[in-house]
Parts: sequence; structure tokens; C-alpha cells
Amino acid sequence: MAEKFDVIIVGAGPAGLSAAIYASRARLRTLVLDESVPGGQMKTTHKVSNYPGFPEDVKGTDLAKAFSTQAERFGAKIRRAVEITAHDLSGALKTFELDEEDHVEAPAVIIATGAKPRELGVPGESKYRGRGISYCATCDGAYFDGKEIHVIGGGNSAVEESLFLTQFAKKVTIIHQFDHFQAEPVSAAEALANPKIEVIWDSEPRAFLGENQLDKLRIENVKTKEVRELSTDGVFVFVGYVPRTDLVKGVVKMNQWGYVETGEDMSTDLPGVYVAGDIRSKRFRQITTAVADGTIAALAVQKFVKDHKQAA
Amino acid sequence: MSEYVKEITQGDFEAEVAKSTLPVVLDFFSTECPPCEALAPKFDAVAEQFAGKARFLKIFRQGNKDLASRLGVTGSPTLIFFKGGTERGERMSGDDIKRTAIKAQVESLLGA
Repeated sequence: MAEKFDVIIVGAGPAGLSAAIYASRARLRTLVLDESVPGGQMKTTHKVSNYPGFPEDVKGTDLAKAFSTQAERFGAKIRRAVEITAHDLSGALKTFELDEEDHVEAPAVIIATGAKPRELGVPGESKYRGRGISYCATCDGAYFDGKEIHVIGGGNSAVEESLFLTQFAKKVTIIHQFDHFQAEPVSAAEALANPKIEVIWDSEPRAFLGENQLDKLRIENVKTKEVRELSTDGVFVFVGYVPRTDLVKGVVKMNQWGYVETGEDMSTDLPGVYVAGDIRSKRFRQITTAVADGTIAALAVQKFVKDHKQAA
Repeated sequence: MSEYVKEITQGDFEAEVAKSTLPVVLDFFSTECPPCEALAPKFDAVAEQFAGKARFLKIFRQGNKDLASRLGVTGSPTLIFFKGGTERGERMSGDDIKRTAIKAQVESLLGA
């Protein structure tokens, strides 16, 4: 027998947890599923400086905990480290099989699975993942105590995480494809002024090399076409994100980049299926915009569930 | 941590991993590592499923740097699989290690 809910939210990042706060306060029986611990990308962000209500920087993990504690206070049930092993979103009741054993169902779902770090797609990348290549500075920074490392990218994540990595590494060299950072000016200026940080502009990685472990990085200057190899103790990759759409691929309408198209109320073209946060087709992806999406989705779902109950 | 998972230190590696008669899954973890926190309950669950057939060990990276660097581990969590004292199969690392994937790899170690 499947356990019944009014709404099942997939993904416990800022969008999913905001939706959970609103849905549970509206007395909807609310289940949140996450393959990890709550927080989404927030939880591996070492500090957040632009989330309103926090005049001082707040650690991403602390913000994540605050979001989930608040959602649970109103009765949302959060299942952590759960794997969705089967699902069907097409019917009037949306069903999920969890960890090959439990079954849950609800008339409405909010998919807030967000985005995950983009891989470079450069030869050697998967071979050296965990053997010199990392995508999480808070997780792996301490491995590089006193080492010389490289960071690929030039947006907010790349620049801010480089600053964080200077706590551990002797030297951090940022390799960026353009001749200036895309990061916010405050962080960009801080990085350029940091004596431990050096930048190689106009360059892209072409290959990761080594025996058992990464020890060299081949880069190409995109302007001069000059190719060279750099010795490295480790490489952190922060080159943007790709949407996590496994649950809805081929089922709801997406744009050409694989983000889900929604109405203003976060509904997709499949009745009862809503999306919120970074997975959605939109211009800006921030914690604040994810929170807004989650709020709207939960409010729209309240109405949808009420109509569903009346029809039943 | 469940009763089916044992934490070791690098001094135990020889006895617990290299000389183990059962296949071993070794989990390098760190503190301040949300993906490690997320892996823990999945690791415990798979350990319980294979109780008596394979051993599930974890080792704290910060306290065991020499072994981590000898095995070339630079990220947490990292799962390494051993049979007959030698490393087998692909390592698993990062934030999207699935319970079913760990299970499948242990099953293939038991079958091989």
C-alpha cells in the first residue's frame, strides 16, 4: 500500500524547502524527498552573503539547516538520503517507489531537483575525479593543505571558492576562459588582491594527465592558441551547472538547454506537476529566486489539491 | 553508525583490508562534508544487506592522511572496493553515489 500525501516535493534545496514550509503551513500532508541531506547547493557553499535577513555572512550549511528545521516545524516530512527507484507522473496520482521498497503517492508534485555542477567534458576528467579533481571546496579543501592547486572557472562559485581554498592551499591559480571575471565585483576584487591567488586569463583546460593520480593539467590560450602543461596538486572545477531533470525528461516541456518550461504559477504542461528553482527555465538562479519559485509553486498546489479533492 | 559498519584507522589497514578474507568496501570520509553525511545512511543500509558476506569499513580522512595519500584519495566521500587485498572495480566519489550502485558493485565482487 502506498502512503498517501497531498503533495510530494522532490529536492530539499531552497526551492523545495520553501515550498514545504508553505505547503505544510497550509495543512497539506507534505513529503520532501532528497537523495542527500537537505540544503541543495547551499549546503556546499561555504558562505552566503546575499540572502536577506542575515546582515553577516551565513554558512551555507547553517542556512540549509535553518530551512529544513523550519519546514519540519510545520509538519513537513523530510526523507533524507533516499533514492527514487521508480516513478510515474502521468496519472492523476503521482507515484514513487523509494529505495526499492517503500511506495508513496500524491495528486501533486513539485520537482525542485535543481542543478548540479557542470563537468568540463575534458579527457581525464572522470578518471581523476576523487584522485585530484574535485567539485566541492568545503568537502575536499583540507586535502590540499600546503599544496598548489588550480581552479577552473571565473563566475561567482569559482572566485568565492578560490578565496575559501586559500585557507588551505599555498597557491591557487584560477584558469578562466575570458579576460575578466564574471563574478560579482566585490568577490572579483578580493580575489585579484589576494597574494595567494594568481589568474591565467583567456585559457581553457584541454586534458588532465597523470599516472594513478592527477599531476598535470594541459591548457590552451584561446586567443594565441598556445598550449602548455602545468604541474598541479589538484584541480577544482566550477564552470556552472546543468539541470537535474532525470525525473521529468520526456514528460514535460523543456527548453533547448534542458530546463523545464513553466507558467507563472510554476505549473508544467502535465497536470499536477509543478517545478521550482534552478531546474526551471528562467534568467536568474539565486537562493532568493529559488525561494520565490518554491513559494509560488506551493500556493498554486494548494489550489490544485483543493480542486482535486472536490472532484474526487 | 550502524553495527554493520566499523571505523578503522590507517594502522588497521593491513589486518582489516589487505588480509580480509571477505570483500571490503572502504569509505574515506571527512567532517564538514555534506555528501559524506548523505552517504552514511546509504552505506549503513547496504552494509546491513551484505552482513556476513562483505565488510563495510570507514576511515576518517583527516586523521589518516598517510593512507589517503598512499591510495591517492583526494576527495570525500570516496568508496574503494577490495577483494583478496587488491583494489577492484571503479572507485565512487562525490555527492551522487547511489545505494543501488554500491549494491551492484558489491554483488559483482561476490560473484567474481
